Parts: sequence; structure tokens; C-alpha cells
Amino acid sequence: MDRRNFFKKSFAVSAIGCASGFSLLNFLGGENKIYFRPPGALSEEDFLAACIRCGKCIQDCPYDTLILGSAKDGKSAGTPYINFRETPCYLCEDIPCIKACPTDALDHSLTDISKANLGTAVITDREACLSLNGIRCEICYRVCPLIDNAITLNKQENKATGKHTIFEPVVHKDACTGCGICENACPLDNSAITVIQTQKGDKAKHYFYLNEGVTS
Amino acid sequence: MKNLDRRKFLKSTAASIATASLLASCEQKPKPQEPLTQKVGGELDQLGMEWDKSVCRFCGTGCGVLVGRKGDKIVATKGDPDCYSNKGLNCIKGYFLSKILYGKDRLTKPLIRKNGKLEESSWDEALDLVASKYTEILKEHGSDAVSMFGSGQWTIFEGYAASKFMKAGLGFVSKDGVGSNHLEPNARMCMASAVAGFMRTFQSDEPMGSYEDLEHADTFFLWGANMAEMHPVLFSRIIDTKLKNPRKVRIVDLGTQYTRSSEEADLYLEFKPQTDLAILNYFAHYICENELYDKEFVEQNTIFKKGQDNIGYGLKDGDGDIPKNAGAMYPYTFEEFKKFVSTYTAEYVSELSGVPVEKLVEAARYISSKDRNVCSYWTMGFNQHTRGTWANHLVYNIHLLTGKISKPGNGPFSLTGQPSACGTAREVGTFAHRLPADHVVANAAHREMAAKIWNIPVEKINPKVGLHTVEMFRAVDNKKLKLMWTQVTNPFQSMPHLNRYRKATEDKGFFLIVSDVYPTRSTELADVVFPCAMWTEKEGAYGNAERRTQHWNKIAEPPGEAKTEIWQMYEIAKRMKVEGGKTLADIIYPYSKENYYKEMWEEYRSFSLGIGKDLAPYDVLREKHGVVWPYVGKTEEVNGKHDFTDVWDNLESPEGDKDKGFVSVKWRYNAKYDPYAAKFKKEHPEHKGDIAFYKAKKNGYKATILAVPYEPAAEEPDNEFPFWLCTGRVLEHWHTGSMTMRVPELRRAVPRAVVNLNPDDAKKMGIKRGDLVRVSSRRGSVVFPADVNGRSIPALGNVFIPFFDETRMVNEITLDAYCPISKEPDYKKCAVKVEKA
Repeated sequence: MDRRNFFKKSFAVSAIGCASGFSLLNFLGGENKIYFRPPGALSEEDFLAACIRCGKCIQDCPYDTLILGSAKDGKSAGTPYINFRETPCYLCEDIPCIKACPTDALDHSLTDISKANLGTAVITDREACLSLNGIRCEICYRVCPLIDNAITLNKQENKATGKHTIFEPVVHKDACTGCGICENACPLDNSAITVIQTQKGDKAKHYFYLNEGVTS
Repeated sequence: MKNLDRRKFLKSTAASIATASLLASCEQKPKPQEPLTQKVGGELDQLGMEWDKSVCRFCGTGCGVLVGRKGDKIVATKGDPDCYSNKGLNCIKGYFLSKILYGKDRLTKPLIRKNGKLEESSWDEALDLVASKYTEILKEHGSDAVSMFGSGQWTIFEGYAASKFMKAGLGFVSKDGVGSNHLEPNARMCMASAVAGFMRTFQSDEPMGSYEDLEHADTFFLWGANMAEMHPVLFSRIIDTKLKNPRKVRIVDLGTQYTRSSEEADLYLEFKPQTDLAILNYFAHYICENELYDKEFVEQNTIFKKGQDNIGYGLKDGDGDIPKNAGAMYPYTFEEFKKFVSTYTAEYVSELSGVPVEKLVEAARYISSKDRNVCSYWTMGFNQHTRGTWANHLVYNIHLLTGKISKPGNGPFSLTGQPSACGTAREVGTFAHRLPADHVVANAAHREMAAKIWNIPVEKINPKVGLHTVEMFRAVDNKKLKLMWTQVTNPFQSMPHLNRYRKATEDKGFFLIVSDVYPTRSTELADVVFPCAMWTEKEGAYGNAERRTQHWNKIAEPPGEAKTEIWQMYEIAKRMKVEGGKTLADIIYPYSKENYYKEMWEEYRSFSLGIGKDLAPYDVLREKHGVVWPYVGKTEEVNGKHDFTDVWDNLESPEGDKDKGFVSVKWRYNAKYDPYAAKFKKEHPEHKGDIAFYKAKKNGYKATILAVPYEPAAEEPDNEFPFWLCTGRVLEHWHTGSMTMRVPELRRAVPRAVVNLNPDDAKKMGIKRGDLVRVSSRRGSVVFPADVNGRSIPALGNVFIPFFDETRMVNEITLDAYCPISKEPDYKKCAVKVEKA
């Protein structure tokens, strides 16, 4: 657990500093690779324990999103995972993968696909992002199935021309399902927006925001 | 700072290592502080590229781009910071410009249909075949049997050469001795209603304002225009204006679906299709009732008329259901006008349109407020409308009543969809009824003028208006047309009621020539396909929505045996023999090899001089990064007609050249900027105010305020077909997708057309995102994946489908009804049913 946490952190840091988190993912293989699982998947360790490698979720995925882990995937051999750049999760409302799962590796209590949490999309390369360079791209925003919730546009003056706006795509973790449609659609050779595995940031107990709780 | 330098250094090393990343590294560069390092037309830069200026191949915004060449190929582009229209910015389509040239399946050899299959041939064989077909048909059936269908993506040169080919040339070959006016651009489907509106109101085509209005205005009305996606670079200027003055600036979006523009708007009015006419009349009523009109301006500059009503829909062949007087305008008074619009009360219009009364009132307040600078922008929602000409009139009515026109930050502005809808289709006049610079074939004096410039006998120009687009394709189905040549367009994907017209081409007696750069749904029907040079593989010029003419040199070599359309027309004309041992090419293309384009331009330009449509000289266009017309010379010697010396000193010319004896007019009809208006004021000292509609001579130099009613659409939903269908574009793809779908990145981003549904409708029908849905009309049926709650959310009872996808063509179900005045088809309204497939 600690090992994974440690790795996650170092991954996030290097992904932000590096040109592409995705190529980094490719580079790492087998044991160290991060596997993005289908909607409703339990935490990685529990998932690996619960998944019986039956392949039924893969069979029932209408978009062929789910990939079957091979021998080189070590203990993930036979398990389903997603490569967003190849095929993202299209968030089927009836969630056939979960229905197909004979165990609880995919949590059957997840019935609202917009609550799925495969990860969170992040603009991991702000320098490369076309929108941040002023190009009217924002493809990630427009293809987002939760447009205006999971991704919104933050507008700021484009100082390069003094007359235009930079429309910065901003991901909101609470709404983002990590479906990877944005990562898939990014027009750069290596996507500037990538899905990463995140944990929920805790709200500290020792401080209250202006809009919270205590009133004078 | 050190870090930054290091990063930059790394970037440039990487770029020099990998040629493939040339594009990316170049796009990362444009930053304000860094001056342009690429010298246009100069030597090789550090990456071994040579740079030249050009303009984006896509929409009517006309973003300037710099183009980097390596060897004989384009390898990079960059937004042109010296172009006023975009100041160095591009959208994602413009970002991929250099890739549209190099799709794997570029057409590189002529194709001839043999035994039902298109087979490669030599140019000689293909040209001989086409020339002999022309000659044979012209000799047997006359010039009425041939047509040409071109484009708002034609370069200005191509449109002009085509116009001469058809209107000046064919009369020398055909048995009836007159040319053919069956020449249309696809721009008929895109902004003909704007043309009709401008001509009928001001007697001069094209907007009066400039893109600079985007900074000067504080109130923006978007009518049937999803500007956020369709004119992304211009929309980004509106948002910047808002960021700079958020308390004042208001964006009002009016439409039938919630779009990315609605998302950014302060006020969104969602109305039932077709009721925009009623809403506009309500605004006029609000202005009159509250006496918010500019009394002096209205008295001085406007004349009231009433339009003929009940004008039909173009549903019967031969304009069969359209009354002869459909375009008639009758004398009217302001008092009568006030009474006419008074029936359009907020309550009545609210009931008709579905827009709540409060929202109507709020919008009316914004558009009429005396302390607001108001600009209206519209595109296809207005123009592709069976009452499109009326819709254009109605928006002018508002601006004319309030006097908010022809002034910085005030005016009605029709945004064009295509890069040269203005420059080529409108200014060259490649329409069935037009000649260059607003002249028309039906006018004897105009024909005389054209014959003189073209150095041909005037009888060769046909005075009879030719077939408009829909009629042209119907004439194929009715076997009246024997031959059609299409250039730079893909009508067999983009025509409405497509099944009828695709089937019509199967007739053995009909010969179809298609000039294009890639295989399309039109080339597949052709008898002969000519492979073409595209964009910067040939010299060209486009004219954008703000009247800016932008010239580019030939920068790269076309692939294989691909040739320019100019060359193709020349070669066909060369193969047509005329009296006196000459060829047709000798008569219509008498330009020298060395200065072919310059001589053609100067000849064309002479149509425009001295009448307020003055185009810039060729040498100026080559040098400058776009020039706005009228580009008026100071003296009679230069402009051909007037001496402006006495008004010259007070003119403001924001884009320079005044010292060289020219002004580029940014606000037409305004005496501060427009020498024609200044001259008019001088000659009419009694004229009050700076604005003078000097082109509207027939109406005593007054613009027309027209009373026209709301009338229903051609086909409205019923029990069997309960939904409205609207079609259009998405940001990532251009028109029929023949270029953008060949850019892997754009194709990956938006791989297919989807049907956008209202979430409540989808729920009722049990349709989920991604489900396959059959959309059917009385004319056909096509299956699309559904999108619910995506980028476009149609109003209840409406669906939206883009038309770029050649594998599922929405035009198989659209209706070919059109505006009886502008003859522009309505792609935005027909009745369909929607079922799970």
C-alpha cells in the first residue's frame, strides 16, 4: 500500500514535469504499471483479489474498451484494463461490464455511471496544451460527456494578442469520472490531458471555509 | 528565467532532431514578446524553412497564416500576427492547416469513367473528352444545357475565370450565340439571404462594419450563430471584450439549441424554429412603442416599405409555388409601420416563440438602449431560412430604427461561413444573376460595361438570369441540363433532399465533371474527375467577412499531376475553336504567361473602381497582409471616377496607406472613414449626420425599413414526424469533412456525426448516449449514434445533426425548400421522426 502510494506520488510529479504522463505509463510495465480498471472496480488490491479473470466484462463491453491483461502483466494477467488513448470508457448508462461481473470485483452497487471513478483527468502538460497556448482548441472540453460539470472553461485575456481570450479547460475532480474521452481526443501526439489515479483530498478538520458551518 | 531558457533550448534541439515535430515546435513559439523571426519571402530560417503569408483555408473569418515550406512541401504554419483579422491566432482547424494537403488519398491523376468505373487517364485524354462534350452539347442544345457549380472556397481568380468561361465564353461556341448564366457557387446555400438583404436595403452588398466592432461594442446579439464553434477566433474577441468590461458587456444568444455560445451568453432566448421573425418584429415594436428610435436618423436616412407576403417555399420545380411578385416592396409610412409591428406584442410573441415575456423584454431593452453599442451577428440560422431575406431585413430594421449602424461598435454584421463567400461568390458575382462588383446580367448597362472590360460583343452575355442552385439540380433531374462542372465543392453530400439529386446523376444523358483534391461523395458520381492543386499549391486570394482581400503566392508544388482549376479552364477553353482561327482561351484569357494573375486581377478590379467597391491593386495585395475594401484612391486618376482631394484630410484610415493616396474604409457609409460618404455630405450640405447611404440612389439615398410578417416554416412537425431537424457544423470539422476528416487528429477528436437530442426527449424514448437512432423524414432515413447532454442541447422537440460525415449523410433527409427571394435552401428546419435503431 505504501509502495503504491509512494509510486503514485512520484508518478504524478514526474508526469507534470514531463512531456507526457502517457508515454511514461507505456514505459513502465508489468508490476509497476498503473492499471485503469472498469467502472466500479474495487481498490486495486481488492480488485485483484476479487477478479476471477473470467473476461465477461471484456466480452460485454460494446466499445471494446476493455483490454485483457496478458502474461507480461504479471498478476494482472487475465484482468480487464483500459488504455484511454486507444479506446476510452464511453460511460454506458446501463453499465454492461458491471452487470457481467460474476463477483464484486466491479461494485454492483454502482448504478449511476456518472458516479464512476476510474481516475481524474488532469492537464499534465500545460506547456503543450493548445488551448493554453491560445489556440481555439478546447476539444477535451467539448467531447467531455459531463461538459460544464467535469470540465469547464476558465477564461483569461490572451496577452499575446491583447484582443483574444484563452479558454483554459479546468477539470473538476468531484464530477470527473476518469472516462478518458478527453485523453483520447486530445489532438497532440501525446495527450496533454491524461487520466491519473487520484485519491480524495481530505477537508481538514481544523479549519472552516467562509461558506461552511459556523456563523457568527 | 534560466529555467525558461533551458526549456526553450531543449525544445529547439528536439525540433531539429525530429522533423515530425516541426509543426508542434513552431506552434509553441508565438508569444507576444517574441517578434516574428521568420522573414516572409526571405531566406531559410534556422530550421531550413522558407516562410510566406497566406490565409486559412476554412471559415469566413479569414485568419492570416504564415506558411513554412521545406523543399516543395508545406511543413508548418503559424498564425500571422500582422493580419488584422486574427492578430496571429488560429483555431484547431487552422492549427492543422499544413496537414490537409497530405492525406494519403490525394487525387493525382485525371479519372474517366469507363464501363461504369473511374479509371486513371492522361490529362490530354480527359481534357479532350470534356472539351468535346462541351462543344457537342453547346452545338446541339445551346448554352442552356450546361452549368457550373462552384464555391465560396474558390479563389477570387478561379471564380473570375469561371465567370468569364460561362458568361463571356460559351456564347462563342454555343448554337444560340449567348453565354450561360447557369453558374452558381455553393455560397447560394450559405449567404444568399444576406446578399439579398443587403442589396434590397442598402443597394450594396456586404457588411458596413469591421471586426474591430468586436472591441468597440458592448452588446452582442447572436442570431442563429453558434459563434463559439463556427467563428472561434472572433468569438474569443467578444469574450475578451467582456473580460475587460464585465459589468457593461452583455451577450445575448438567440437560437433553437443550447450551444457553446449559449453557455457563454448572459441571456439565452430559446425559441421555436421560424419564430425569430416574430421576435425581431417584437423588438421593432418595443422600439416604436417606447419611442427609442433615433428620430433624426430615421428621417434622414431611411425609407419605409411593405414587403409582399405569402410568398411560397420553392417546393415545386420551376419556382412553381412562388408568386412572381415575391420580392415586391410597396410604399409605406413610419406610422403604418408602427401599426404593423404593434401586433407583435410581447405576450403574442412569447406564446408563439416559447420565450418567456421577461426575457423578450430584457433583450429588447439591451438592443434598443441609447447608451449601448450594439452589434448583431448572424450566420446560417438566419440565412438558411425559407424567410431568410426577411430575417436579414428585420435585423436591419432594428439597427436602422436605432441608428446603431456604420459606427464603431454598432452595426448588423453577417458572418460568412466560407473563406471567400464574400471575395469570390459575392464580389466576383459567380451567381446566376450577377456580374462582378454588384452588377447584374439583367441590366443592359451592366452588360455593356462587362462586355467592354471583357472585350467581347455585348450580345454574347446572356441577359436571362440563370438557374439558381436548387433549380440547377432539379434541372438535372428533369433532364434539362446535360452537363455540370463542379469545382471546390461537394454538392452530392451537401445538397438538401440529397437522394433526389444523387439519383438524377445516373441519367446516361448527363455528364458530370468534378474538380477536387480528394475522393468525395461527388467524385464517386462523376464521369470525369480532375485532380486539383489546393490552397497554397497555387496562387490565390480570398475575401473574408470584413471585406478583407488576402492574397497568397504559390508556395508548394501540387502532388502528382494535380493542376489548378485556372489551368483546367484554360485548357478546356483552348480546345474550343471559335471563328477566325482563334480558340476560346484567346478571347477570355488573354493574359501573358509571366503576369497571368496580375493582368487578370487588374481587369477584374476595374469593375469595382469608383463605385464604392474599390479593390486594392495587385501589387498592394501581394505586399500587405490583407486589405479591406473599399480601398479608395484619392484622385480620379486612381479611382476612375472621383476626386476626393477636398475631403481627404479629415478621413480616418485606421489601417494606413493614407500617405500613399489610399484609404482602407473600415466603416462604410460613415463620412469619418468613407470618402464616398464624405463626398456625398459635401455635395448634399443639407444632409444631417455622418452616415450617408450613398449607394441607395434609387431610394433617395435612404436605406429601406421593411415591414414583413412572421410566416410559418415550409414543413413543420406533425404526428408522424414530430421533431424539428436542424443541421450544421462542429468546430473540429469543415463542411463535408473532405479535408478535416483526413487530418488524423481531428478525425480522432470527432470521428463521426451524432444526433444531438434533448435530454427529456431522449428519456421519453428510452434513448441513451451512444444508442443508435434512426432519424427519418419524408425523404429518407439515416442512422446516427445519439448524443445527450453533450456540446449541443436542442430545445424540446428538436434534434441537431452535423453534415460533415460522408458515411452518414444527414442531407438524405433534409428538405430542399428555399427562400423565394434569395433562393437559399433552409437546412435548419424540416420534420423528422426519431426511433431507436
